[in-house]
Amino acid sequence: MDPEISNFETEMNRGFLQILVLALLEKDMYGYAMVRTVRDLGYEVEENTLYPLLRRLEKNGWVKSRWDVGEDRPRKFYGITDAGRSLRTELLGIWRKQVEILRQLTEEKNHV
Amino acid sequence: MFEKLEAYLEEISHFLSGREEREEILAEIRSHILEKAEQEYGQDTEASLGKVIAAYGPARRVAEKYLDGRQIIAPAYNRYLFRYTALFFAFHFVLTVVAVVFKKSFLMFPFLYVPSMSPFDALFYLPTAFLFDLGAVTLILYLITQSKKDVKLPWPKFSIDIDEMKTTGRTIGRIIGLIAMTALTGVALYFYVRYRTIFFVNLDFAQHRPIFTPEAGQWFSLILVGLWAISAISLAIKLGTSSPWVDAVEKALSLVLIGLAFRQPFDAAFAVPLSGTLVRWFKLSLTITLLVICIFIAADFIKALIRIGRRRFGRAAAN
Repeated sequence: MDPEISNFETEMNRGFLQILVLALLEKDMYGYAMVRTVRDLGYEVEENTLYPLLRRLEKNGWVKSRWDVGEDRPRKFYGITDAGRSLRTELLGIWRKQVEILRQLTEEKNHV
Repeated sequence: MFEKLEAYLEEISHFLSGREEREEILAEIRSHILEKAEQEYGQDTEASLGKVIAAYGPARRVAEKYLDGRQIIAPAYNRYLFRYTALFFAFHFVLTVVAVVFKKSFLMFPFLYVPSMSPFDALFYLPTAFLFDLGAVTLILYLITQSKKDVKLPWPKFSIDIDEMKTTGRTIGRIIGLIAMTALTGVALYFYVRYRTIFFVNLDFAQHRPIFTPEAGQWFSLILVGLWAISAISLAIKLGTSSPWVDAVEKALSLVLIGLAFRQPFDAAFAVPLSGTLVRWFKLSLTITLLVICIFIAADFIKALIRIGRRRFGRAAAN
């Protein structure tokens, strides 16, 4: 991919990834499971970006975490909080508005 | 225990060092890498772990993602770093020159201590003072950044904005300057080689009378010829490059040479008989003249350093 486009994609992904994670975590999940779920939906998440993001979301109280040491390997599970759900609703509202603006603009351009 | 994995985590840990959540971050990365190796390569061996680690990314980049948004100095305050350092250093420099000339010490504990010193000592003191000023300004900007408050710092403007220095018409001036300085240096060198001095009481070279004693005459002549030669070389280089390093080196060398002028004992430097009052008057005039010249050269030197700093910051920001 063109490095310029790659930079733009990284910028765009930054916001998208936050909404994506908040949408995913309605059910408790650990990092690797999140990566696999998103991949099955046709999108690649950079693993080394996901964990720092989860940590930031947790620090702000939008997600919570717990270590599960019952299995053969300890795993850190994340789940959304009530504050996270409110944030997700707000962010989805913003995203829908942005998509609508872009839809209108591109449709107008197609008509011209 | 997998060597590759432990080495990788150790490297990440090195870049995260000092952070309280370090152990938890590393435990989570370890868990992720082991699980991915097992799920995607069937087993967690050194080879499969190597592939997963390579995909996870270089240790420093991984660590930096956890440190995102934790700048030492916020971008909004970057531009203050060199301007404030320049101002502090200018103040420091003037005090140093005064300390050298008037043999006085200045103390403002714990911010400033300028001891009485010789010109030669000052050459070693000034770079240290510059680093201190840079460190002090960095510390202030760091504390402001960490406070997360929107502190509005004053933005002092120099009378000549160094970013807006025009290049138009400068080349012609430089060529004229180069010719003049080369001619001056050449003539001075001719006199020096012939008479071992360039300072004379009379202009009758058949019966020339030098102003200074042979030793002082050589010393002052070489310093003056050196200053003119540096200026000529700098003008010649500046015809081919606009690098601020040329100015910085020229001004630094000029300051060193002027500093050396103070090393020559002035009272016994004259070859012609002069009264004590006249010698004192000469000494004071020369000291004040050199002081003024030093201040102008130092101001240019500081401007050159700021231009170097800005260029570096500009390049870093562009990357």
